[in-house]
Amino acid sequence: MAVPVSAPTSPARRVSARHFVRLKLRVMGNNFRGQGWRIALFLVGSLFGLWFAVSAFFGLAAPGLIGEDRYALLVAAFAGGLMVLGWLLLPLVFFGVDETLDPARFALLPLPRRTLVTGLFAAALVSVPTIAVLVALSGLVVTAGVFGGWSAAVVAAVGVVCGVLLCVAAARAVTSAFATMLRSRRVRDLAAVLLAVAAALLGPLQIAGVAAIQDVDWDRLNGVATVIGWTPFGAPWTAGIDVAQGRVWAAPLKLLITLAAIAALLAWWSRSLESAMVGAASSGPARAKPVATDGVVAQLFPRAAGWLRRDRFGVLVAREARYWWRDARRRANLITIAVVGLFVPVMVNFGGQGFTVDNEQGFNFVGETSPVLVSLSMLFVGLLAAVTLANQFGFDGSAYAANVVAGVPGRVELRARMTAFSLYVLPMLAVVAVVIALVLGEPAWVGFMAGTLVGTYGAGLAVNSFLSVLGAYSLPETSNPFAMNSGAGMVKSLLTLLAMVATGAVAVPMVVAAALLGDVWLWLGLPLGLAYGVGAALLGAYLAGDALDRRQPELLAMVTPRR
Amino acid sequence: MTGEHPALALRGLAKSFDGKIAVAGVDLDVPTGSFYGLLGPNGAGKTTTLSMAVGLLRPDAGGAWVLGRDVWTDPVGAKQLLGVMPDGVRLFDRLSGGELLAYHGLLRGMDPAVVDQRAAELLDVLALADAGRTLVVDYSAGMKKKIGLACALLHGPRLLVLDEPFEAVDPVSAALIRDILKRYVAGGGTVVFSSHVMEVVQRLCSHVAILAEGTIKRVGTLEEVRGERSLEEVFVEVVGGRTATGEELAWLSR
Repeated sequence: MAVPVSAPTSPARRVSARHFVRLKLRVMGNNFRGQGWRIALFLVGSLFGLWFAVSAFFGLAAPGLIGEDRYALLVAAFAGGLMVLGWLLLPLVFFGVDETLDPARFALLPLPRRTLVTGLFAAALVSVPTIAVLVALSGLVVTAGVFGGWSAAVVAAVGVVCGVLLCVAAARAVTSAFATMLRSRRVRDLAAVLLAVAAALLGPLQIAGVAAIQDVDWDRLNGVATVIGWTPFGAPWTAGIDVAQGRVWAAPLKLLITLAAIAALLAWWSRSLESAMVGAASSGPARAKPVATDGVVAQLFPRAAGWLRRDRFGVLVAREARYWWRDARRRANLITIAVVGLFVPVMVNFGGQGFTVDNEQGFNFVGETSPVLVSLSMLFVGLLAAVTLANQFGFDGSAYAANVVAGVPGRVELRARMTAFSLYVLPMLAVVAVVIALVLGEPAWVGFMAGTLVGTYGAGLAVNSFLSVLGAYSLPETSNPFAMNSGAGMVKSLLTLLAMVATGAVAVPMVVAAALLGDVWLWLGLPLGLAYGVGAALLGAYLAGDALDRRQPELLAMVTPRR
Repeated sequence: MTGEHPALALRGLAKSFDGKIAVAGVDLDVPTGSFYGLLGPNGAGKTTTLSMAVGLLRPDAGGAWVLGRDVWTDPVGAKQLLGVMPDGVRLFDRLSGGELLAYHGLLRGMDPAVVDQRAAELLDVLALADAGRTLVVDYSAGMKKKIGLACALLHGPRLLVLDEPFEAVDPVSAALIRDILKRYVAGGGTVVFSSHVMEVVQRLCSHVAILAEGTIKRVGTLEEVRGERSLEEVFVEVVGGRTATGEELAWLSR
C-alpha cells in the first residue's frame, strides 16, 4: 500500500475577526488592571468624546430639526468630507494610531492575510473615537428621516456605518503606508519635501475657500457639495439625503463608491502590513558603511554643531541632535512642527477677516489683521514646538539607563536637550516669522513676531521640562513612528493638553504686551521676547533639573516599556 | 584606602512590584579582585538585584556600596568607579559603534583624545572596527553585547557589573569576552556577572552566589559552593527542578 504523501491535518478551528476584537478588549482591560488613574483618565476621555459626539449629532441633525431642506446636502457633504479628511490626515500629524495589537506580533502565526487584515480592522473599530464619530454622524440619519421617511433613514444609516468604516480604513492604510515609507532614508527626505509643499498649498486653498464662503452663493456651494458627494469623501454621507430628495438611483451608486474605496484602502493596508510585519524582524540589511578614518569623537559631533565643547554638555547636545534626525518618531515630530507652523498662522490670519475675490485686482484684504491676532497665532506655533518635548525621555526609552549609570546632573541634561532641539526649531521659527510677515504684507512685524515665537517657545521649554520629568510615559518599541500604547493614548492627549494650557498661560504676557504697547512693541518685541524665552528656559532647566536629580531611577522605570 | 572595602557590598536589598516580591533581602560581599558569578533561574531576581546595586532601580529597603561609597547617597562617587552593562536595556542604538563609545566616554568626563585612542583599541580588539558607520540598531545580538561591554570598559572602572554578558553570544565572541574579562581581573579589577549557564560560571568564577526566589541560597568561593559535585547538580538541587516522568507530553512522540 502506498504511503499517503499529504497527511490529513485535523482541521484547525477558523480564526475570525471576533478573536481579534476579544484580544484587543482583553489587552485594554489588562492595561487598566490595578491602575486607578488610567481608568479615571479613560472615563474622562470617553466623556469628552461623548460630549463632542452629542453636540455634533445635533449640529448635523439641525437641517432636519429646523426643516431647512436646502442645507441638508451641504451639511452632509462638507461635514462628512471633513471627517474623512480628518481621519486621513490627523493621525499623521497629531495623534498617532492605537497599536494595541501590533501587526508584527502576528507575523509567526499561520494566519491568511485576509483574516489578519479583517481581524485587525475589526479590532481597530473598537475604540472610543470610532463610537464617537458613529454617534455624531448619526445626526444625518435624523435629517434624512425627516425629509424622506423611513426608507431614506435606513439608507442614511447604512451610509453612515459605511462612512465610519471608510474613516477607520483610511486612517490605518495611510499611517501604515507612511510608516513603511519613513523607514527608508531616501523616501523620508522626499516625504518631508512633499509635506512642506502640501502645507504651502493649504494656504491658497484656504483663501479660496474663505472667498467662496464670503460670496454666500448657495447655488455654487451646493454645486461643490454635489461634486464632493460623488467622491469617496462625501458619498457615504449623502446617500440618505439623495433618497430623501428623490434621487433614489444615486444611493446604490454612492454606496458602491464607498465600498470600493474601503476595499481599495484595505488592500493597500494589507500590502503595507506585510512589509511592516517583516520589517519589524529586521530593519533592513546591515549595509557596511565605509570605515571612518577620523576619531570617534569627531564622528559623533554633527558638522553644524562643531562649535560645541567636547565635554559632557557638548556630547549630550551632539547625541540629541543626531537623534532628532535619525529616530523616525522624533523626525515625524519635527516635520509636524514645520507643517503646522506655517499652516496655522496663515489660516488664523486669513480666516479671521478674509479676502474677497475682486475680478480686476485679484485677492484683496478686507480690513486689517491685528498684532494681537498675529501674536496669538505665533503663540500657538511656539507652544506646539515646545510641547514636542513633553515626553522627551519617552523617546529614549530604556536607553536612558546609560545617562543614569553615568550620573549625568539633571540641569546639564535638560539644558543639553533644550539646546539640541533648538538647533532645529529656532531656524524653523525664524522662517515662520519671516514668511508669515511677508505673506501678511507687514514686513515691519517680523521683530515682534519672532520675539513672541521665541518667548513662547522658551516658556514652553520650561513648562515641558517639568512635565517630561514628572509625567513621562513609555512609548512602544516599534518602528512605526505613529504608534502609541492604547493606555498611553488618553494619557498622552491629556498631558499634551495640560502642557499646552500651562505654556499658553506662561506666554500670555507676550500677547498682552502686543495689545497694550502698540507701536513700541514693534521694536521692543524681539529683545524682550528673546530675554523672556531664554530666561524662562534657563530657569525651567534649573528648577526641573533639581527634580530630575531626585528621581532619575523612577523616570527610567516610567519610560521603560512594558511594566 | 579602598582596600579594606569589598568591591561591592549589598545589605538587605529588597524590592517588590505591585505587591509581588521580586527580591527579598539580599546580602552580598564581593571581594576586590574576585570574579563573581551570580547564578539563578529565570525570574529569580538577578536583574532586579543588579539594577538596584548600580543605581538603576531604587530599592524598597537596603543599600549598596561600591568600594565603600554608597550608591544611593553618593551616586557620583560610586558611579565613577563602576562600569555597567545592563540586560534588556536598549543602547542609544541610532548611533554607530564609534559614536556610541564617544558618547559614553565624554559623558563620563574623559579627555577627547583619550576617548579616541581607547575607542579605536576597543573596536579593534572586539572585532567591531569592520562595522564602520553601521548603526548599532543594525548590529547582530553578539555585536550589541560586545559594544555594550566596550562602553562599560571605556572609562577604566574598578568594578564591572554585567547582566547576562554571554546570552545570545556566539562561541567566538564569547571566548573573546571571556579573555578580556580575565585580563581585566588579572589587572586588579573586579567583575560581577549574572548568568544561568553553569559551564561558563564554572570555568571563570572564583566566587559564586546562587539566587532563587529573591533570596541568596548558597554563597562562597566556587569550591565551597560546589564541594565534590558539579555546579549544575548543586544548582538544580538548590533551585528545586522537576524531572519528567515520561507520562506527560506523550503527544510529542509519534
